[in-house]
Amino acid sequence: MDAVNLEEQAARQQLFTALYQKVFPAVAKYVAKCGGSFEEAKDVFQDALVSYYEKSRSADMTVNSSVGAYIYGISRYLWIRRYKEGNQTTRLDDSYAAHIAVETTLPVAEDKLLNFLETAGKRCMELLRAFYYDQLPMTRVAQLFGFSGVRSATVQKYKCIEKVRETVKQKALTYEDFLE
Amino acid sequence: MRTSLNEIAAIEDHLLQRHTPGAALLFEAKMLLDADLQNKVSSQQQVYSLVQQYSRKQLKHEIEAVHQQLFTQPEHLSFRQKIARIFLNR
Repeated sequence: MDAVNLEEQAARQQLFTALYQKVFPAVAKYVAKCGGSFEEAKDVFQDALVSYYEKSRSADMTVNSSVGAYIYGISRYLWIRRYKEGNQTTRLDDSYAAHIAVETTLPVAEDKLLNFLETAGKRCMELLRAFYYDQLPMTRVAQLFGFSGVRSATVQKYKCIEKVRETVKQKALTYEDFLE
Repeated sequence: MRTSLNEIAAIEDHLLQRHTPGAALLFEAKMLLDADLQNKVSSQQQVYSLVQQYSRKQLKHEIEAVHQQLFTQPEHLSFRQKIARIFLNR
């Protein structure tokens, strides 16, 4: 199963490596100049990559600036918000805030559920990820997961939603604070 | 498709706002009359949210793997040195 998404994963690895080499030095310089650490630079840069990836996959992709400028801008915004002392004196460009949904901490029960799905429902989760998160076309999803065609991949997608929904229901009884 | 899968497809159209205005109205009326359907809609919404959290977590693992490669493998030595100098010169 882990071989399934290998092709897509390899492409992402290439993309992230290139972006690291191209943009991370500038982010590191900015953070260092402001007195921040390597770990802080790494933290904000990685979340900026997630943000860029999600943006680039969504249909309404409108990164007006260059990719590098976008990732640099998000990193900078995140660093000021997370690490800069007395940041109320710094004016933040709030246009970035809309793009960033990367720092949600999960409630414990939901996190447990996620861990469960990662093991027990891996294949379904990977299929749903390919379709909803990576937004791959159904023809590509069918090909990656070895379905005979778009139709059987679509049926499987709905079956997976049903399965995860059932799991959520069952686990909600176990982790009673889940549906608070 | 099975009836239950067709229902999941209809719920998806509702949640992702893919219904035509007429179909949307009809679906909302159905929901008002059917508490069971309401529950299914909200748990399906939860599925999409879990898929997003799951995917983001996997993506972060992939990014961290790239980071580890860049900061351990011999062919990336010059990149590493470049970054190290930035934090050394403070």
